[in-house]
Amino acid sequence: MEDKVRIEKDVEVSRRSILRTSALVGAGIGAAQIFGTTPVAALGGTTNATLDKAIKEIVKGKTIKVGFTPPVLSENFTQIESAAWRKMAEFEKRFGVKWVWERQAPVGDFNAVQGTLGIVQSWISRKFDAIAVCTGANFATVQDLYKTANSKGLKVFQFNQPAELYPEDQLQTVANIGYDNRWQSGYLAGKYVAKTLGGKGNILQIWGPSGSDWTRGRRIGFDKALKEHPGIKVLGEADGGYVRDKGFTAAQDLLTKYPNVNAIYGENEEMALGASQAIDAAGLKHWNGKTGIVTIGADGLVSGFKAIAAGKLTATVDIGGIDQGQNLIEAIFADVALGQTLTQIINNPTQVVDKTNYKWHQAYAEWALATPRKYGK
Amino acid sequence: MRNQSKFSKFIAIEGIVILIAFVLMLIFFSIQAESFLDQDSIRYYINEAVPIFVITVGLTFVIIAGGIDLSIGSVLGLSAGTSLMVSMWGWPVWMAIIVGLLTGLSFGLLNAVIITVFKVNDFIVTLGTLYIASGALTVLTDNIQLVGTQDENFLKISDIEFLGITSAIWMALIIAIVLELVLVKTSFGRRIFATGIGETPALIAGISTQKTKFGAYLMSGGLAGFGGVILASHLNSVQSGLAGGYELTAIASAVLGGVSLAGGRGSVWRAILGVLFLTTLNQGLLLMGIDPLIFQIVTGLCILVGVVVDRGVYKFALTRSIETSPTVSVFLGGKKVKSWR
Amino acid sequence: MALNYTKISKNTSLQNRIVQDPSFGIIALLLFAIILMTILEPSFATSGNVTNIVNAMMTVSFLALGMTIVLIAGGLDLSVGSTMAVTAGVAGKFISYGIDMKVAFICALAIGTGIGVINGLLVTKLGIPDFIATLAMLGIGQGVILLWTQGVPILDYMNETYYYIGGLKKIVGPISIPMIVVVVVSIALAIILKRTKFGLNLYAVGSSPFSARNSGVNVDLIKISAYAISGFLAAIAGIHIAGRTTTIPPLIGKGYEISAIAAAVIGGASLLGGKGRVIGALIGALTLTLTRNIINLVGIESSWQAIVTGSVLVGAVLANRASGEFGKKLNRRIRT
Repeated sequence: MEDKVRIEKDVEVSRRSILRTSALVGAGIGAAQIFGTTPVAALGGTTNATLDKAIKEIVKGKTIKVGFTPPVLSENFTQIESAAWRKMAEFEKRFGVKWVWERQAPVGDFNAVQGTLGIVQSWISRKFDAIAVCTGANFATVQDLYKTANSKGLKVFQFNQPAELYPEDQLQTVANIGYDNRWQSGYLAGKYVAKTLGGKGNILQIWGPSGSDWTRGRRIGFDKALKEHPGIKVLGEADGGYVRDKGFTAAQDLLTKYPNVNAIYGENEEMALGASQAIDAAGLKHWNGKTGIVTIGADGLVSGFKAIAAGKLTATVDIGGIDQGQNLIEAIFADVALGQTLTQIINNPTQVVDKTNYKWHQAYAEWALATPRKYGK
Repeated sequence: MRNQSKFSKFIAIEGIVILIAFVLMLIFFSIQAESFLDQDSIRYYINEAVPIFVITVGLTFVIIAGGIDLSIGSVLGLSAGTSLMVSMWGWPVWMAIIVGLLTGLSFGLLNAVIITVFKVNDFIVTLGTLYIASGALTVLTDNIQLVGTQDENFLKISDIEFLGITSAIWMALIIAIVLELVLVKTSFGRRIFATGIGETPALIAGISTQKTKFGAYLMSGGLAGFGGVILASHLNSVQSGLAGGYELTAIASAVLGGVSLAGGRGSVWRAILGVLFLTTLNQGLLLMGIDPLIFQIVTGLCILVGVVVDRGVYKFALTRSIETSPTVSVFLGGKKVKSWR
Repeated sequence: MALNYTKISKNTSLQNRIVQDPSFGIIALLLFAIILMTILEPSFATSGNVTNIVNAMMTVSFLALGMTIVLIAGGLDLSVGSTMAVTAGVAGKFISYGIDMKVAFICALAIGTGIGVINGLLVTKLGIPDFIATLAMLGIGQGVILLWTQGVPILDYMNETYYYIGGLKKIVGPISIPMIVVVVVSIALAIILKRTKFGLNLYAVGSSPFSARNSGVNVDLIKISAYAISGFLAAIAGIHIAGRTTTIPPLIGKGYEISAIAAAVIGGASLLGGKGRVIGALIGALTLTLTRNIINLVGIESSWQAIVTGSVLVGAVLANRASGEFGKKLNRRIRT
């Protein structure tokens, strides 16, 4: 019953996000001309001197204090943070806005929810302008805190969260900068596997720790793709805890039982890379375009792109981390400095990346990572 | 006793050193950290810490009796889950409290039985039940999304304000005071100390050490259950992994407050002071904007220094006050070689 | 008559030795699980799966061996997980800086041993309870590695040799370098424990530090050495796991200290000190690895894993306890 409702909502959300992505509007704020659009701006961009000057006059050298809290320190969140710095540097130069950036990650695993709550609360006490949160805490846990933040005049932004799983009218955030997990990560991965295998084959799945919203979202998406391709059978699944060595061991165990699988899905890239190692260790062959085992993950990490280049990973879904980081800053700037009203859910393009197109994704991520560490400590 | 200077008398008051350190830290943060004295911020972090206060009280009993309970954190999480679940089913608030308490008590009972009846090592048993409780919470949250009850009364458990302080803090205070009295004034409390000082002499003195330990574990479990109810009422949402790692904070706090892991020494109020110290340290560093990665290191160092100082003072105080008893001072002068029970 | 008598006594002593083995309970449990799985799951008793299990248990084995030494000496080391992460980081980073592999490994081993020595000093010279001292060290180690890497996994250190060290490439047939190292370390430790004065002293210090001190044993030195061995083995585990995972995420060692303690205790080591065996540590590591393997093969839903793991832990110590009682009873019956 509940699932059905959710799926219907899916369609609606995705339709909206498709419109948005097709228009390629950066932060979805009708300000494409101002900010350029990522990644287009990154690749060339057009700026307008008069416009820049006009905005500079409004900004008046304002300082924006931003708190940034990922659920855990990892390559993915480093990429997002670096991308944010890129945009901050750009805006500082163009509009004269100054930034104070503080990153605090709770120590522990994805479930260290209390840590995130404490960090956000401390920023509320210290009267930051904007807070960017990504947390493993489920929707309900954080809304009260966001309400408190709002009442004190702080703006809360979420990034990289499956906002489509949440009741939109109850969201207490200014905006959610993310991507649609079901359609553009789990679903895309499922579709890619089905397409590559010609609609028939046996697959294994390695999931993150059960109970997280990310896992839930991606599972819905993958299941949807499977429904469309009844020829694809899931033989086995295991918990890989979002980390490589557990993903490796889990894939190894599953491969022993089902040596003749055609594909392995790792819910994130770390686990997919672990699965790829398990294939090597078992003496099996990677996908070479015709035979072998297809491996696919999701995140869009530089290490993943390198693995694709080396033929160790067939594909991954780039969840638009670099765009997320930049759009996060655009959204914060538009709201805090310019006072614009934003769309509540800002989804970024996602794409399956394989041998055919990894190069520009890798270059894009490396461009973001090469940001001078001006804002970090 | 004869030659005691004023200073050594003062320093010999148990817990005085950590108290001084705590006050110094408060002064430091008031100057250094912006909005440290902000009322909301104080209320918030103390409120967050209430469940840790509650489990630390139970843990103190277990440790003084010479045991250890690692399961309290995840039992607290599980109890939060069960009580919120039944509240979401529409059960009245008192039933929700009872369900939470029973969840905690049943794990306390399980620990107590395996440890005292089957005589298996407490560390490993409670480690096992830690896994079981956290696994049970994962299974629970996998099947039911515990994201909020409609029952206003359930939310009020932790949130009624009285004299500007929330009911959660009041309850923690009452629990701490009552159980401090139990520890100091009742025969159960004295048996706890006797068991922790040495099981054999306690047995000779006619104390059933196993029964005493049984009681301590049961209490620890029950308090974890109650802490869970408070946490669930405070967050109104429970997810897997909730409160995992609380047990380590609780143990570190208790030890910092001078509760000896070897058993037989400690008190509830000092353990509470230990929790206050660690949570305030955490809050102060957060407000100073220090990277949590660094303050993990700082916290580690603080615990080490705290324990060393506490031990030094304890030894110093004892050697001064019991100078007349040569055997004891020889024993204390010698290094303690076996620290883990 | 006489002949007959010796025969009987030999029989009973063999039987005794099996039943009274401290790990009898857990071995029986393991055998039962293995037989059951062999019948139920055709892919279980395959050479591929056995190799997987053995390879997967290497990391925990190193840590459990070190933990066993510390436990025998009456200590506890919660820092092994983060020591492993730090040393893996040292090895990986140094190699990626272009430093010679041998030098990188020596540095990693030295740092691991150093952390162990610091643990030992904290526990003995400053008298901090081992639980707290090593817990603080765990936090410090984790903080250091996270700060150093800023959360970004360490890459670009893998080379041909490292694939062998990680056990990803085998030397002969299914035999890999880590297996050989585990065997060598185990034999060395077994000899140290059984045949050397140091080994005897370890047990003596663990079972009664006061009488050990009275009989002239340098208790502090023995304890510090035990922690140093544990740190050294954690460094070996670190060097190994870096090769196995081919990248080093900073939180790589998280939770391993618990696995190590669990493995050691399942193998018969006592947290009260004075007890523990090398073979026990390996049996414990096997139990944990096998549990995970069975969960994956049978396809137990992942949310149930923690419950299964916890139950196995409690079940294993109960089994050990039960077999201990049974052995004692048997002994009494034979004597009377």
